[in-house]
Amino acid sequence: MHEIKRRYVIPGDKIVEGNFRPLMNVIKSGNALIATRIGIAETGRDGVKVIPLSGVYLPRVNDLVIGKIADHSSLSWEVDINSCFSAHLPAQDVFGRDFSPARDDMTKHFAIGDMITARIVAFDRTRDPMLTVQDRDLGKIPRGELLRISATRVPRLIGKRGSMIQTIEQATQTRVLIGQNGIVVVTGRSPEGVNLAVMAIRMVEDEAHTANLTQRIKGLLNVPDTPPPQERSPLSAGAPKPAEIESTIDEVEEELEVEGEK
Amino acid sequence: MSQARNLIDETGKRIDGRGFDELRNVKITVGPVKNADGSAFIEFGKNKILAAVYGPREVHPKHMALPDRCVLRCRYHMSPFSTDTRKNPAPSRREVEISKVMREALEPALMLQDYPRAAIDVYVEVLQSDGGSRCAGITAASVALADAGISMHDLVASCAAGKVDNKIVLDINDEEDKEGQADMPVAYMPRLEQVTLLQLDGRLAPEQFNECLDKAIGGCKMVYEIQKQALMQKYFGNETELKEETQ
Amino acid sequence: MSSSKRSTIIVEHLRKQQMWDALSRGKRLDGRDFSETRQLVIETDIIKKANGSARVKLGDTEVIAGVKVETGEPFEGLENKGALILSAEVLPTASPYIEPGPPDEEVVELARVVDRGVRESEMIDLEKLVLVPGKIVYTIFVDCSILNADGNLFDATSYATVAALLTAKLPIFEMQDQKVVDSGNTQPMPVTSMPVSITAARIGDHVLIDPSAEEEACMDSRITITTTDEGFCATQKGHTGSFMPDQIKKAAEAATIKGKEVRARLKELLVNNG
Repeated sequence: MHEIKRRYVIPGDKIVEGNFRPLMNVIKSGNALIATRIGIAETGRDGVKVIPLSGVYLPRVNDLVIGKIADHSSLSWEVDINSCFSAHLPAQDVFGRDFSPARDDMTKHFAIGDMITARIVAFDRTRDPMLTVQDRDLGKIPRGELLRISATRVPRLIGKRGSMIQTIEQATQTRVLIGQNGIVVVTGRSPEGVNLAVMAIRMVEDEAHTANLTQRIKGLLNVPDTPPPQERSPLSAGAPKPAEIESTIDEVEEELEVEGEK
Repeated sequence: MSQARNLIDETGKRIDGRGFDELRNVKITVGPVKNADGSAFIEFGKNKILAAVYGPREVHPKHMALPDRCVLRCRYHMSPFSTDTRKNPAPSRREVEISKVMREALEPALMLQDYPRAAIDVYVEVLQSDGGSRCAGITAASVALADAGISMHDLVASCAAGKVDNKIVLDINDEEDKEGQADMPVAYMPRLEQVTLLQLDGRLAPEQFNECLDKAIGGCKMVYEIQKQALMQKYFGNETELKEETQ
Repeated sequence: MSSSKRSTIIVEHLRKQQMWDALSRGKRLDGRDFSETRQLVIETDIIKKANGSARVKLGDTEVIAGVKVETGEPFEGLENKGALILSAEVLPTASPYIEPGPPDEEVVELARVVDRGVRESEMIDLEKLVLVPGKIVYTIFVDCSILNADGNLFDATSYATVAALLTAKLPIFEMQDQKVVDSGNTQPMPVTSMPVSITAARIGDHVLIDPSAEEEACMDSRITITTTDEGFCATQKGHTGSFMPDQIKKAAEAATIKGKEVRARLKELLVNNG
């Protein structure tokens, strides 16, 4: 285990001098590594990065996102994914290759205002993100309490190996569906549980930069301070399957090692 | 230019009691506009200015988008009640020019290539005007851009210097602007040591030009510290060090 | 400039369903009762360059109104009255859906409805604002800037306008050698009444006082009713839907009760202002 140095930075701050590789939100200026965004700077063996604390969501291929159907043409839906780019979901993705705009009624599947879980299959500097719903548990979200958090807080909300979100789900008897783009849907049997989960999520959002957050969340939820069970319990319909969650979390882990949570 | 009264008294104090190298009171609040992606409110002397940033977001109309970088758009606007005599709400030529130089003052700090085909909108609204509203506006806009999480090489700090009663002084206020001899607004990126806005209104002797520029840059550096403090306070409260999690 | 920008909020179906569920239980999404207004904060005299000013926060909706007093010619047909001109601008800072430019029809309606409340209530005794009858009168500008928009701009703008006018200091102009001269003294505005608007939105069968932006995006119709201590002075039904007569009568009753509460807040300003 190598040592990682962390500090709070704003754009233009010098993080460190020396032969380090600039990774994320960091530029090299002479021998100095400079932060380009507000956040937590981490200097490790492999380089220097800043985990941002503000900013809109920028799409990445393979991200799991929750989007809102904003419009549709005769060939595709336009999906608002809470980003600077609208995403497109081709009608063929839903109807198959023999889709015919004359015969198939697109609004029967997704109408304007519907929320969907989708995966980004293509995106680069030259074109808008393209989505798919062709995977198990992707598609329309039938119910749930919707909230928006800053996309920069998503890794913190998931926590290491899903520890944070598991703590919240188990204590409140809810299912929490998290899009990488900061859209969150909470479902649960009791409104009290849902309300409590929403409160906890808001607290994570407000205090993402602070240490010992898991402890405070446990305090809020009245959870004894023991390690959460290893297995994530089965998911309700509409939530991504465990394998997907894991892959998301792995990615997040690479990105976020803010704390040495167990 | 004839002067009706002395703007500097025998003891070397200016009409508002400041010394030559003194800034007016500057206070920056980060994030006052709930709906915006980033925002800042600045009180710079009697200036009260709100800056809000939306973006990066989709460009409308679409043909304005650039394939390799983000479009930066700026609007500097004065509320009708912000001035001594009511200002017509329609944009004046002065506001159009300031919007342009403001955009050009901010653009060098932004890593616009990170957001191809998108747009960033910066709206600066002067609610109460005093001398140096463009400098205060740029200062607030730069903080709002950082608050919006836009990638930046550095913050842009802005301050003017000028000539009053033949003396070069920092941070010209309204009376000094109207009755003084020269006003030089400057915007500056302190880490990169780059000037991104420079204007001059009035007459300076050859040797005074450099003195005035240096003084304004000195002012920008003071403003820079206030900007940084405001952002740190908003995001990290009074903590400056990240304490490691204790297990 | 025409633009393809989407100019309205699309409320997610999930959120709409949540809203309807909550409404059927007698609650709103933010926890309020149907007749409950959001927190109202009024500050006055915040713009020193104006003759009067107020900042009003109604929930997250935030409006600044500034009063500027000048002299000019009277309006035609109103030769023996001062002129009152009210404008509103929703600043592009206020929401992602606003673009800079001349006011669109909704903002014009907003300014006109607020103006109507002030005018029809005869809040300001304009006959006292004449310098040379038929020739030179006081011109009172009230300019409203909406800084952040989270629904019910009508009421927030109305309160800001009234608060700014109530606390404004009217410069005393005098005629000397056929020229207007500012005497340097001020006096309070000649205020005779206090118009207060209360806006309600109808969503399905429910009528909600002081709608948020999200509620406005779901509403079928809207009604703004302005009252004074004496009774009603202005009304505007807005949006594409309709109302049943009973719903309007209920809204009028709410406007009377709630209007009195807001008026009490405004009267405090007058007391504090001396």
